[in-house]
Amino acid sequence: MDCTLTLKASSRSANETTRLMVVFRKIDIATELFSCNDYVSLKDGSTGSAKGVSGLKSRMCGENEPRGAYYTTSEYLTVVFHSNFFDNDDGFDLLITPFHSGACSSSETKCRYGQCIDRTNRCDGYDHCGDYSDESCSNLTRVGAGVIVGVIIVILAIVAVVIVAVCCIRKRGGLGGIIKMDFTKLKGKAKVDDPSSESESEESVYSGLEEEPDTTGDEESSNEETKNTVDDNEDDDEEDEEDDESEEESIDEDEDQRKDIQKLEEDETLNDEKDHDIVIENIKSMNVKSVPKKQEGITLSVPDEYDYDSSDEEDIRNTVGNIPLEWYRDYAHIGYDIEGRKLIKPKKSDELDEFLNKMDNPDYWRTVTDKLTGQKILLSEKDLNLIKNIQSHHLYDNQQETYEPWVDFFTHEKMIHPVTNRPEHKRSFIPSKWERLKVGQMVHALKMGWMKPTKKKTADEEDEEDKHKYYMLWKDDEEKSETKRYRSHIPAPKMALPGHEESYNPPPEYLPTKEEEQQWLDADPEDRKRNFLPQKYSSLRLVPAYKRFINERFERCLDLYLCPRQQRIKMNVNPEDLIPKLPKPRDLQPFPTVQAIIYKGHTDMIRSISVDPSGQWLASGSDDKKVKFWEISTGRCMKTIKVGSAVKCVAWNPNPDVSLVAVTIDQLVLLLNPGLGDKVLVNNTDNVLSSYESPDESSTSVKTSVEWEVYDDTKYEKGYRIGLPHPKEVTQVTWHGKGDYFASVMPKGESSAVLIHQLSKRKSQNPFSKSKGLVQCVLFHPVRPFLFVATQRYVRVYNLLKQELTKKLMTNCKWVSSMSVHSGGDNVIIGSYDSRLSWFDLDLSTKPYQTLRHHKKAIRSVCYHRRYPLFASASDDGTVIVCHGMVYNDLLQNPLIVPVKILRGHTNTKDLGVLDCVFHPTQPWVFSSGADCTIRLYT
Amino acid sequence: GNDTDESEEVKFDFLIDGEFIRLPLDKHLEGKEISTETLVEIEYIEQQPAPTPEDSLLHDDWVSSVQGCNQCILSGSYDNTVRLWNIKGQPLLTIPGHSAPVKCVRWLSSDEDKTCQFISGSHDQTILIWQWNRESNSVECVHACRGHAGSVDCVAINTHKDKFCSGSWDRMLKLWSAEMSAPGDEVQEEEEEVPSKKQKISKKVQTRVPIVTLSGHNEGISQVQWTDTNEVCTASWDHTLRLWDLEKAEQKSTLQGTKVFLDVSHSRLNGNLLTASADRHVRLWDPRSSDGALVQCTYTSHNGWVSSVRWSPVNEYLFLSGSYDCVMKLWDTRSPKAPLYNMSGHEEKILVVDWSIPQLLLSGAADNHLKIFQYENR
Repeated sequence: MDCTLTLKASSRSANETTRLMVVFRKIDIATELFSCNDYVSLKDGSTGSAKGVSGLKSRMCGENEPRGAYYTTSEYLTVVFHSNFFDNDDGFDLLITPFHSGACSSSETKCRYGQCIDRTNRCDGYDHCGDYSDESCSNLTRVGAGVIVGVIIVILAIVAVVIVAVCCIRKRGGLGGIIKMDFTKLKGKAKVDDPSSESESEESVYSGLEEEPDTTGDEESSNEETKNTVDDNEDDDEEDEEDDESEEESIDEDEDQRKDIQKLEEDETLNDEKDHDIVIENIKSMNVKSVPKKQEGITLSVPDEYDYDSSDEEDIRNTVGNIPLEWYRDYAHIGYDIEGRKLIKPKKSDELDEFLNKMDNPDYWRTVTDKLTGQKILLSEKDLNLIKNIQSHHLYDNQQETYEPWVDFFTHEKMIHPVTNRPEHKRSFIPSKWERLKVGQMVHALKMGWMKPTKKKTADEEDEEDKHKYYMLWKDDEEKSETKRYRSHIPAPKMALPGHEESYNPPPEYLPTKEEEQQWLDADPEDRKRNFLPQKYSSLRLVPAYKRFINERFERCLDLYLCPRQQRIKMNVNPEDLIPKLPKPRDLQPFPTVQAIIYKGHTDMIRSISVDPSGQWLASGSDDKKVKFWEISTGRCMKTIKVGSAVKCVAWNPNPDVSLVAVTIDQLVLLLNPGLGDKVLVNNTDNVLSSYESPDESSTSVKTSVEWEVYDDTKYEKGYRIGLPHPKEVTQVTWHGKGDYFASVMPKGESSAVLIHQLSKRKSQNPFSKSKGLVQCVLFHPVRPFLFVATQRYVRVYNLLKQELTKKLMTNCKWVSSMSVHSGGDNVIIGSYDSRLSWFDLDLSTKPYQTLRHHKKAIRSVCYHRRYPLFASASDDGTVIVCHGMVYNDLLQNPLIVPVKILRGHTNTKDLGVLDCVFHPTQPWVFSSGADCTIRLYT
Repeated sequence: GNDTDESEEVKFDFLIDGEFIRLPLDKHLEGKEISTETLVEIEYIEQQPAPTPEDSLLHDDWVSSVQGCNQCILSGSYDNTVRLWNIKGQPLLTIPGHSAPVKCVRWLSSDEDKTCQFISGSHDQTILIWQWNRESNSVECVHACRGHAGSVDCVAINTHKDKFCSGSWDRMLKLWSAEMSAPGDEVQEEEEEVPSKKQKISKKVQTRVPIVTLSGHNEGISQVQWTDTNEVCTASWDHTLRLWDLEKAEQKSTLQGTKVFLDVSHSRLNGNLLTASADRHVRLWDPRSSDGALVQCTYTSHNGWVSSVRWSPVNEYLFLSGSYDCVMKLWDTRSPKAPLYNMSGHEEKILVVDWSIPQLLLSGAADNHLKIFQYENR
């Protein structure tokens, strides 16, 4: 559907054409992707086929209105609105202003680019020039202008300057739409094909202000007219008929439109003396329905009291207003007329007159008295009808049709006409060639048996399918192999992008110097940083062909072809994971943590300490030639025994029923009775020792190198009980767990380096016939008849009963210093002078299960706790390190060896730190003796 | 917090929920996780006065035990003697008798009478009951209680003063009669026990045997306290506190600790036990509570083993502790973080503290001194 509107601006003078200026205020026309199905186009001419206005697209749609003003070259402008699209949008809003270029007169104003428009357009709220140059005025005047413009709009008297055409598309099946034309501001002469009716005076047209007095009259008359159309139907009809006669061409149009146009004509005739410069030239359409918009601000329905017009009658209207009339009951007059004269009550007719009247007057029944004036009024046919309607409870206005036939625009029925007129594509009628081919292939395959129709699923299979229907929502670890391969695609190596140096005209810093060039030439092709030399050419034209092009392409192909397409899996190893998980020391309590008591009293380094089996006393042997006995709980030195020489080793008899301490001094092993603790016990020990009777000499067949010496007198008083003088210097003495046997070590004793003494029989024997090395220390197995003999590098385990070598432990260290065996007898720790501590599991291997290298200097002593899973090592670096060493009954579980605490406190003297350490027999306490003459207790 | 009175300055301490405020109020509340939105009741009490050092009594050797009573102070020393002092600090008597260091002393009766009795336990495994004639200032060993097979580390006398208990390193708890003349006493010739040169001691000493011997501990008993007329509590090196019913001669209950107990003190005022352990803490136990957490509170301020702890005889909140770090501390149970007062002066390990006389705080140490602090009880 096309809606074409041609506008013509009236010429101002012969030599200067008045042109039209268009400003888009709004455009909102639905688009379909990229094409304009509905569009508006502005033509620079009097016909729709003229060329478009310059600067505008030929078809405009969408919502982006063009900015600025567009100008016609002539006085004609044709607006073409095309619509075939089934959609509803706001349409468009144009502001069209006549202008002329040239010198502006006083009644005109000038746009920025020199267009002269009427002064009334200035500051009226409309951007006539498209650049707001006509709206550049102060606020006050703008408001005033706005008011003025508002008034103009209201009173409808202004001659059309602006035409705003709003075209809306109504959804209306496929039949196009209604074009609603806004005639409120359109006061032009709507004459079809009558361009001749032009007016001359423009001044009066544009001056809205001057026109104002006239407009009131216009309004009145128009009002009158509208009232007439409502009230005086008959008159109206007559007029209509007249109009019909005068207007031949609008006969076939529908009634409403005819009325509208007629009304427009009436308006036009009323304002005939004013000239209109714009003519609606042509409204071409099959189903155009033009509806005049109701005038704003005017109420037509309320009849005015004063416009009761009956010129031939005497005006006897009462002006007293709406008051109770009985106030005038006692007066002769009934009120006042419009001139202020009294209205005399009409003479009241008597009964007879009334009766006669009733008999004579056929309209008596429809005559009523107006109470206000006392006049008799004859009710019209219409009034009677109305009364009848009211009495019968119908609508008072019978004119209105209550049951209009319903027009169903969107019917449920299938209509013969399509919604869109667009013909179906040819494609949709022709069978598809490719489908045919495909079907042909499949048919062929079926025939040949290549393809088998899908089997019907059995019930089992369906069940299975059901099972597979559920899957783990978050299970994405097990990717299918094909997708994995797809996803782990390795792209081919990319070539490096060319840089500045590849340029034919590189910046000078990229150009190689002579030396660099020579260097490049001298280097192997493999070693060159880049495989070309940057060169400078004055122009691209001069660049020669690249010699190595083929070569490089080939290499590139090789690169692509031979590129390793294997994904390198990067191991994500947290370094902390490699560290074995050790429990926190806090969880392994109890173990000694703080220094509690310092036992002071010795004046030289304390080489050895030993705790009595009850845990009350501590014995210490020092280089100051004293053996001291301490009360552990208080740190009190209870007893001091002077022995003639530096004490190398002290060892308390582990038997709680015996009160004896073995001490080594030079070549002597002394057994002392400290006389501490239970008196009964002390006395018993003494008694046992004194009651010994030496057996016959003959029975001792084997002559031992050691003579047992029994002390008495002063030395007995001091605590000396038995002395065993050895041939060489004795470094160590150790008790068997039962407290009867003890062994002494003479490192320089060669074949008799180790001697085993039996207390009850006072016998000494040499278990080894020949020396296996420099014996460092020996140790009895706590439960089995084994003897550990540590030489410099090895620890040999002898079975004393069978008199054979059971095991030989490889210590992996250079010089064994000390060893200790767990009370269970299965684990041995060996400390060495090369600061290693080796932990052995005797059942497992002869090699150390674990070697700890926590100490910085030589380990002097190691010890096991009898009850707690603790072992400690004392070192020359002045520290004692306590380790947690747990062995589980479960053979599969690895032993847990955790260093838990470094105990400091001893000060190094003469490069010696801690010389001995020993655990308390019952508490998790460790004693350490150092070269600084102190013994320290850590708890 | 301090407050001043117009006439006399009176210092106050403030408590929230029965705990002293030793920090700024906000930090205290933060530490206790008390919401600042709630209403907090602050109690205030008059501040305890500071103890003042009174005297220092020099011994010949380490002071291992001390107890004050009325006007006298009894102290045991490592030089095998028991000493008597009056509270002015004047030596009254030095009593040899033991053949090994004295570990414990206790007043048996200390009336205003002419004669007083006291007992002493020693490393020589005997407990001696002594009678002291105040007028003639002569002392006499009445009984020698034999039976222990280890050093007697502690003795405790019941309220009726007719029985006493002793604990020893030999793990035994023995109950003895404290009567001056009890049936079954036998006279025994004392020969080797008397190396006395200073004072003549009666050679006729009656040997007394224990009424009951209770075994149960796995290690030596370090302290024994009467908690009731027939109930004693023992602290031991085997990490346990045990309550014994002496009438039934059986063990009633065991409180398991984690460290060696060196001392225990029972308060008659609140019935709670305080223990000193081979660590830095003093622990408060409620032997009557049945829940698992028997340790009600831990008081940590010392830097060495706490060797001795004593409740105040008159104030249910105050107690005294002595430690191997040479400092004696006065505590209030409501202030677990910090003691009320530190009393330093000793140069060696404090071995024993005593608060038998409410006005005197006594401490014996390894520096051979017995220090006396004057204390005004409130």
